[in-house]
Amino acid sequence: MSFKDFVKELNGNRVEGELVKTIFYSLLVSFIFLTVVYFFKLRYIENCIPKYGYYLLFSALSIALIMPAIRQVRAYREMACMSGMMIGMTIGMISGFLLGFFVASTNGMFIGGFFGVFVGIAIGVWNGKCCGVMGMMEGIMAGFMGGLMGAMTSFMLLNDNNLKLAGIISFVISAVIMFGLNYMIYKEMKETDRQRKEDYMFVVGLTFVLIAITTWLIVFGPRSAIFG
Amino acid sequence: MGNKITIIGILVLVALFAGFVFAKSGSTDSAPITGNVVAGEIQKVVLSQADLNYKDSIVQAGKPIAISADGSVKGCLRAPSFNIGGKRYTKYLQSANDVLELPALEKGTYSFSCTMGMGRGKLIVE
Repeated sequence: MSFKDFVKELNGNRVEGELVKTIFYSLLVSFIFLTVVYFFKLRYIENCIPKYGYYLLFSALSIALIMPAIRQVRAYREMACMSGMMIGMTIGMISGFLLGFFVASTNGMFIGGFFGVFVGIAIGVWNGKCCGVMGMMEGIMAGFMGGLMGAMTSFMLLNDNNLKLAGIISFVISAVIMFGLNYMIYKEMKETDRQRKEDYMFVVGLTFVLIAITTWLIVFGPRSAIFG
Repeated sequence: MGNKITIIGILVLVALFAGFVFAKSGSTDSAPITGNVVAGEIQKVVLSQADLNYKDSIVQAGKPIAISADGSVKGCLRAPSFNIGGKRYTKYLQSANDVLELPALEKGTYSFSCTMGMGRGKLIVE
């Protein structure tokens, strides 16, 4: 059973054995960044944590969620077209959807939507190119749609008083999808050796850039009229 | 570092950060609304639509406001949404009898939009 093998490999020597640690390092970077920013800046802003704390927390969790798949794709470098399309689509859509959702919850449809679109397309294309132009196109399409869908979902739920619950539900579903993608990549590539060996500096750097931009947007970024 | 220890580390990190956020969120509510409420002097505002936005409305400071919408207001614009001092006021004004009540406001210009953010307007408090 390859799923059992996959679970076993989460403790193994292949790249799959580094996925849990990737989540840990990404969360660690995000939380250290947010703690430092809180002590130097955010604690002087009135009601900052009640207004934005929940969305910053879930933005950090969302970034940590997409990192393992990126690490896995980088490790194998090249894959079959069908796999690459699935990778570009899934990573582009989930990264765009989640970040679009949480930024739009505090900044409105335009900022949240297009931030999600840009992040989704950038990450989708970058990972989808492991199989060529089809994966890149899937990345563009999925990032474009996921970013706008995430922002639209949160914006339309604003007056339902269930926005935070919707965020948790969306996050859990996204986590299941991303876990499925990790398994799919393993299943497709289990006969192949790892092409690139790297430390965690890449995860640290990318997480830092994403959480810094997201935090700036959520706390200081422009907002639509509905947010005053 | 084994995966079990890493997973415990992840859970501890998330629990610490989430605990901090929820502890802080519970202690503070939305910012209080400022302005003097004058009992019995509610000013009525009837919203109208111009193109795809609301027409600007002018009200007096220090008096509570009751907002309704006339027949020109269509679609999602019938659900105006205000964010005043971090507190959101919104209501679906399905008929002319439906009223969205706002507290007395200080002088200034308050931007608002429909709940979907499609149509925008200004409430000018003088």
